[in-house]
Amino acid sequence: MALKIHGHANAPLVRLVAEVCREKEVPYELVNVEVYKGEHKTPAFKEFQPFGQVPYINDDGFILYESRAICRYIAKKYASQGTPDLVPREPKAEAIFEQAVSIETSNFYPFALGITAEKIIKKHRGLEPNEARLSDLVSNLKAKLDVYEVILGKQAYLAGDNITLADLFHLPYGTIVFEELGYDMLEDRPNVARWWKDITARPSWLAVKAKA
Amino acid sequence: MVKLYGFASSTCTRLVALVCKEKDISYELIPVNLAKGEHKHPGFVANQPFGQVPYIDDDGFILYESRAIARYLIKKYPNQGAPLIPSDPKAEALFEQAASIESFNFTAFVAPIVAERVFNPRRGLQPNEERVSELLANLQPKLDAYDLILSKQKYLAGDSVTLADLAHLPYGTAFYGAGFAEVFESRPHLARWWKDISNRPAWLAVKDGA
Repeated sequence: MALKIHGHANAPLVRLVAEVCREKEVPYELVNVEVYKGEHKTPAFKEFQPFGQVPYINDDGFILYESRAICRYIAKKYASQGTPDLVPREPKAEAIFEQAVSIETSNFYPFALGITAEKIIKKHRGLEPNEARLSDLVSNLKAKLDVYEVILGKQAYLAGDNITLADLFHLPYGTIVFEELGYDMLEDRPNVARWWKDITARPSWLAVKAKA
Repeated sequence: MVKLYGFASSTCTRLVALVCKEKDISYELIPVNLAKGEHKHPGFVANQPFGQVPYIDDDGFILYESRAIARYLIKKYPNQGAPLIPSDPKAEALFEQAASIESFNFTAFVAPIVAERVFNPRRGLQPNEERVSELLANLQPKLDAYDLILSKQKYLAGDSVTLADLAHLPYGTAFYGAGFAEVFESRPHLARWWKDISNRPAWLAVKDGA
């Protein structure tokens, strides 16, 4: 039975899981959740995902949610196929990978998500962005990307010379901030620009952008 | 001996100290003086380019990001202290789910509340109460989900304590003590879990200073 991803094709973190499935050559079926009609907030949905968020997966009866946890599970279960070493195993390489994952969690995502919330999510709800907050988020993200510039000047990817999940985790919200919203944060940061161009050119991501 | 660069009351430094106590790992706390901007000095930034605490030096191996340090130490010493990260694939996946819940459904809201209400006053700044209200309003339904999960199992990843539970302690304790105890206590299963993890001897040993 193919892996089932429950979510909506446009949801950024649904796309992340689809991308990693493609990297690992894992067939999947996207089971649509009508998020625009609030299906993810219904009691029936919350049986599977108590926070009322997408995605969750059903892998032959095993239910798992939190997109980064799902990605790790797929990368480890299918370690021997597709793009290798998305989660490194050698202890020090694994530690540097975990450092890079934590960098995305703490030093990228909160700002990229915050910008998305102000500019897109609020708009959907008919609310105006909080300009002071938006300005703070943008300057904070730029300051963090200055550090990415240093790190990526020494190595090709965030965890070393090979691509890992830590890089891929940046794809959904990075695409929103840099491409969809058009924030130019890469022009003055050539190493980040190089890395971003590389990871966004991956066939697995291009396929998901076309159709998750 | 692991050299832990941070400061005694830092939330993230105390997470690493907690894991060292759980795993019977000896460490030396090397104070970093934030008031003097030591974390922005070139010597520090060479090791931690974001200019944040903590980082460790484990026999020359430099690592930063407290959750990464915690995972590294837990995996390095599997045979001493509590296991804290499962190795069975499905149990491990459920641990990763719980670890992700902590980052995105708890700390994402609790840390900025603590920053507004606890850290800002220490710096002579006014808390932004509108922001605190907004963050709290987002946190409450998350904690309802916690209460539901914890009504069915003892800990966030199942019936054994893991790093995912422990990672709540530093910011959670600061939040609890900043006048928000009722937010936990009003949810019986969450309250039961909180009482359990916050009374672990390893946490009691470091909660007032790494």
